[in-house]
Amino acid sequence: MSNQDYYIPHGTYWPVIGSIGISTTFVGFANLMHDVSWGAPVMGLGLTILVFMLFGWFGTVVNESISGTYNKQVDRTFRWGMSWFIFSEVMFFAAFFGALFYARILSVPWLGGADNNMFTPELWEGFKATWPLINTPGAIGQGGTAFSTNFKLVDTWGLPAINTALLLSSGVTITYAHHALRKGHRNALIAWMIATIALGVLFLGFQITEYGHAYHDGLKLTSGIYGSTFYLLTGFHGFHVTVGAIMLTVILYRIQKGHFNSENHFAFEGVAWYWHFVDVVWLGLFVFVYWL
Amino acid sequence: MDIIVIAIIIVILFSLGSALVGMLRGGKKGSDKMFKSLRARISLSVFLFVLLMFASFMGWIEPNSVLPTQ
Repeated sequence: MSNQDYYIPHGTYWPVIGSIGISTTFVGFANLMHDVSWGAPVMGLGLTILVFMLFGWFGTVVNESISGTYNKQVDRTFRWGMSWFIFSEVMFFAAFFGALFYARILSVPWLGGADNNMFTPELWEGFKATWPLINTPGAIGQGGTAFSTNFKLVDTWGLPAINTALLLSSGVTITYAHHALRKGHRNALIAWMIATIALGVLFLGFQITEYGHAYHDGLKLTSGIYGSTFYLLTGFHGFHVTVGAIMLTVILYRIQKGHFNSENHFAFEGVAWYWHFVDVVWLGLFVFVYWL
Repeated sequence: MDIIVIAIIIVILFSLGSALVGMLRGGKKGSDKMFKSLRARISLSVFLFVLLMFASFMGWIEPNSVLPTQ
């Protein structure tokens, strides 16, 4: 390990490649939105450049780490970097949960005339504040859709509960993997990691099935504030599980390469925390969307 | 019942936050703190899930999720 106070990396071209990748992706995406024929392939090219950059840049960092270039000071910068990333993720989900709570506890009751909003009911006559609200109040003027729609209860002990059990099990298996790593039990570590990834992939499979059912039954992104918040929260959560599963796979690869030992495994700690976080977000979703 | 569920979720969030502090600190102490906090977090989460199942079975709590019927 280097004795320097600060490790200054050599010059690198990865940031430029990353910028080219992101720019190409957005040029492609913008044109895709305008139905331009070359939009999709250009966006695909941009994403390919981005993935290439991620492999290259992370690969460089990993090689620097295992060659012993980093010291404690650099270790601290990684920990702070991960913490700020986590902070942004917490704020991201806090905003969507905030939207759910705000709509449910404040704005929908106000539209129904709660508190001192005595004039609100005149905006949409006949509107009754109910939750979940799966029609937009304005829809009555556009297509004559009634405010009240008949509901049927989702079988909460069906797919949502199975998915919760799956994700919680993956939380248990990654805790065992963490324990095995700290004790230096390599085979157990690899087995628990494979189990965690498998449970995560299974969760995603069931989630796609759940979306199929919900969409078939008429719950869409346009189904009022409930439909919007439901799909935004669960959709972004699913995206995070996908990213988490990819990160766990990379960590599994690095474990097999022998990159970690029982004392030095920050990359594992970062990914493990992320997986626990994604697990807690789902638990929050399960409780606040399906139960309370 | 709702209050109990929310209280457990707050403790789970606190454990997750405590694990983050451990990770940020690093070293042997930080690593221990992180592992113990994460272990507490998953234990509490599994407990909450089982509690929800039990409460639903006993009729103390009703699910809230709905789908429209045509």
